[in-house]
Amino acid sequence: MTARFRNPTGGSVDRSRTCRFTFDRQSLRGFAGDTLASALLANGVHLIGRSTKCRRPRGIFTAGPEEPNALGTLDPGDRQIPNVPLTVAPLADGLVFASQNRWPSLRFDLSSIAGVAGARFGAGFYYKTFMWPAWRWYEPLIRGLAGLGCAPKIGVDRPPRERHLDCDVLVVGGGAAGLSAARAAASRGAKVVLCEQDSSLGGELQFETATIDGRASSRWLIDSERELRVAGVELLTGTAVVGCYDDLLLALCQPAGYPGEADELLHIRAAARVLATGATERAIAFAGNDRPGVMLLGAVERFAARFAVRAGNEAVLFANHDRVYCAAQRLREAGIRIAAIVDPRARPELAVLEELERGGVRICNEQVVEQVLGGHRVSGVIVRHRDGVGTPTRISCDVLGASGGWTPALQLATQSGLAQRYDAQLGAFIPVSESATVIPAGAARGKLELAAALADGTAAGAVAATAAGRDAAPAERPALVSADPAPAVMPFWRVVGGDEKRQFVDLQNDVTVSDLRQAVAEGFREIEHVKRYTALGVGTDQGKTSGLPGAAILAEFLGKPLAEVGVSRPRPPTRPIPLGVLAGFRGAPGTVRPVRHTPLQADHVADGALMEPAGLWLRPRYYRDHGESLAAAAEFEAQRVRAAGGLFDASTLGKIEVAGPDAAAFLDRIYLARPSGIGIGRARYCVMLREDGMVLDDGLVLRLAAQHFLLTTSTHAAAAVLSHLEYHAACSAAELAVSCTDVTDAWAVIVVAGPRTRQLLRKVLPPAQWREPLEQLRHMDFHCGKWQSRPLRLLRASFSGELAYELHCAADAAPPLWRALRRHGAPDGVIPYGLEALDILRVEKGYLTSAEINGQVSPYDLRLDDMVKRSAPCIGSGLLARPALHEPSRPILVGLVAADATARLDAGAQLIAAARSTQSLGHVTSAVWSPALGRAVGLALLAREFAAHDREVVAADPLRARYTKARVTAAVHFDPTGERMRL
Amino acid sequence: MLISCPFCGEREVAEFEFRCTLEERGATAAERLYFRLADPRRSLEHWQHVRGCRMWLELHRDLRTGRVLRTASVPVPPADGTGS
Repeated sequence: MTARFRNPTGGSVDRSRTCRFTFDRQSLRGFAGDTLASALLANGVHLIGRSTKCRRPRGIFTAGPEEPNALGTLDPGDRQIPNVPLTVAPLADGLVFASQNRWPSLRFDLSSIAGVAGARFGAGFYYKTFMWPAWRWYEPLIRGLAGLGCAPKIGVDRPPRERHLDCDVLVVGGGAAGLSAARAAASRGAKVVLCEQDSSLGGELQFETATIDGRASSRWLIDSERELRVAGVELLTGTAVVGCYDDLLLALCQPAGYPGEADELLHIRAAARVLATGATERAIAFAGNDRPGVMLLGAVERFAARFAVRAGNEAVLFANHDRVYCAAQRLREAGIRIAAIVDPRARPELAVLEELERGGVRICNEQVVEQVLGGHRVSGVIVRHRDGVGTPTRISCDVLGASGGWTPALQLATQSGLAQRYDAQLGAFIPVSESATVIPAGAARGKLELAAALADGTAAGAVAATAAGRDAAPAERPALVSADPAPAVMPFWRVVGGDEKRQFVDLQNDVTVSDLRQAVAEGFREIEHVKRYTALGVGTDQGKTSGLPGAAILAEFLGKPLAEVGVSRPRPPTRPIPLGVLAGFRGAPGTVRPVRHTPLQADHVADGALMEPAGLWLRPRYYRDHGESLAAAAEFEAQRVRAAGGLFDASTLGKIEVAGPDAAAFLDRIYLARPSGIGIGRARYCVMLREDGMVLDDGLVLRLAAQHFLLTTSTHAAAAVLSHLEYHAACSAAELAVSCTDVTDAWAVIVVAGPRTRQLLRKVLPPAQWREPLEQLRHMDFHCGKWQSRPLRLLRASFSGELAYELHCAADAAPPLWRALRRHGAPDGVIPYGLEALDILRVEKGYLTSAEINGQVSPYDLRLDDMVKRSAPCIGSGLLARPALHEPSRPILVGLVAADATARLDAGAQLIAAARSTQSLGHVTSAVWSPALGRAVGLALLAREFAAHDREVVAADPLRARYTKARVTAAVHFDPTGERMRL
Repeated sequence: MLISCPFCGEREVAEFEFRCTLEERGATAAERLYFRLADPRRSLEHWQHVRGCRMWLELHRDLRTGRVLRTASVPVPPADGTGS
């Protein structure tokens, strides 16, 4: 059964394929080829949602991506997609979507009825109420009302593909101008890509009936598309260019019309770009112009021509140009009765007027629509003389097609750096063509008539091809066109008089003429300020239909010409992009983002480790067999290391070899602590600074030979440290002969820690070669040898405070070595441990990680004064004398111990002097439950003036409402003399 | 943005990493760090072809247009960062 408002013939929908869909639990039918909006209109559904502030009933206003009103939530539920413009999203069988901004239901919205919304949200509402104490009362109410739609609870699980395109000429827009530009450029041998945001080409030609070179415009479209394909032009329909950045354009391909699995993010680089983005029809402000059933004239036409859908049975048209009369003829042919045409201008000399009058259409020249009647749907209009003389008349209708002229779509031209100027005849701004590589064309440059648009496109295509280095070719013969006459627009922005609080300028943000008047009264003068104060044009539609009328009305109130007031700057994205699309591949399974595994990955997984991402790496967080929860397992592992022993995979540490005759001198410039003084076979804990004196990273420096060093870095800083070394080798130390090589992946590192370490290593390492080093290595000594004929470096160093060795082995030897250690260690109770246990052990010992070395600390803040004293002048040391680095308010590293044995400390908590204090003295950088001390302990950066030992502070975590009393201590909580690691 | 690496040729900016702008004037590190001229027409910068040959490059860039005016490898040792 055909829906009530669908014509039996016409349009480009596929009547053989019925699509069932559900809107707010209502089951409806449409056809393949429909948009959600056209399918709803075909069923006579006009009430689509409620406005965000005033909760007024709203309908479908446009037929394209400029839609401010008809936004819906697709697939309501955990993965729902909010704010989908129904005028763009294509219909599919089984689709479920819902209206937005209503509670409890669309027809009956409590907040609109109670009047809590509405008039109270005037201009600058937020600025006036976002203040204590009033905000305290408003907040719960506003939080419930604020926002458009609701975000999904589950993120995008199918990230879009990304594609990089290179071409000579990119044509944005597949209307008359864009198609001719593409053809002209391609005929000169240019490689051309054409992006059209709509699912099919044609733009206005989809409904404007015209003849081009003797062919019907529909035929011309089909022929053009075929010719372009033959010429090798890449035609990307359903692809909107959303932003221009330097010489790159970002386009979003959504063949499905809404974020889904087939999305593609395109990065397009073009030698020249033709911007044939067309013009957007603009609204007129009059009372009740937001009622469902009030639409742009072009939308009524498009629904009729493309979808064979009548937006109503009886229409009133309200426009300030000649094209409305041609449109009226076409709408009558589509079966819509035209009750009246209201035109504020004097009667134009057009033959079509008499024809319309003979057909019973009432022509109301010099008249305006004063008010729209109706609730959830237009039921009629009140028409009066534009100067208010005479008696208003009431005309019944169920749809009102309004049109205030056309605004060239300037977004991409402005983003490309083109200036704009006001064109008085058009009543709009047009881009100034000043660039050889960015060429606006057609309606985007104010060429609204078909013949002019075609010619302009052809010329633009030729210029673009030349700019891209293609040969100039003889000019083409202009097409012979018969189409609508020039529209003869008379700028007309609002109906003067009446209730200005009901005269909407920006439908999405409920900005009315009254709001603009108020903004001016409150002293706002600049369009950008008014935009921010009133929210004019800040919505997902970016004010495409409302921006210019808003600026014009502002100009009127300011008594300035519109040319001087200007329009607000359109910024990318030109249409909404889900953040998931931009985030792209990050972390999604099955994508190209690399994951780094240590050589022991398989062993960790087999042992039941929970693997945690750290940058690109995966590292074991804890082993599930070791406890029922993360905390239990971590505590068990940490205790076991102190009681017996543990194995830890430290292969993710950055490892860089530095070699060359000047290696030692080079490292003296890089590190504090003068690495040139390290003996061969010895290691030293060293810290490097940034140029500004802040600590960049710490690690061990091993001297392998006189001119050969190995540096270890933190896992996360490995890449930055390598670049830092290479930079100084190339720049500040260019006279030194040195080379830096990243060997991170070549070497695995297994840490064996705990009191039973030495007896375990005696079992695993062949005594012939290893007994002597094992017995003799002092803290920070290392020995190089072989294990199973693969290189092995045994370094005695500890990050746990226990007797510990790092076994640096060739990556391929790591799994057998790990398994041997596991096998021989198991009877003694030696187990593998993860990052959580590592964190407990190192916090107990006051060792540092990136939580403390956070880019904002000097070596003095970390109590490394002795190391600074021993250093040669090195990178950053010159700036350590800055007085501000030594002020009493500057934080310094301290330990914290929870005062109460059962209390917890939270990393990130602010330190305050007493419970009610609001002044932060520092923050907790790391906090753990210490099994060794039986208490929560932590490390903190605390203002020097408060850092005296035994002082009591409060660790405040207001978000979790936890306030823990803690005592300031030395950073080393456990075994302060370090006896255990010297066993 | 495309950057012409003297070793590898023209490559996408994603292969490079920016490190710093250079200020040729200023005797001490503090002056170079904190008192910059910041001429937008001719920004002198150090970049590394980090996902390529790893060489360090000196770029002259017009910040108003994003155009790279000139690229060279870093042979010239500029003033070091020791503040001495």
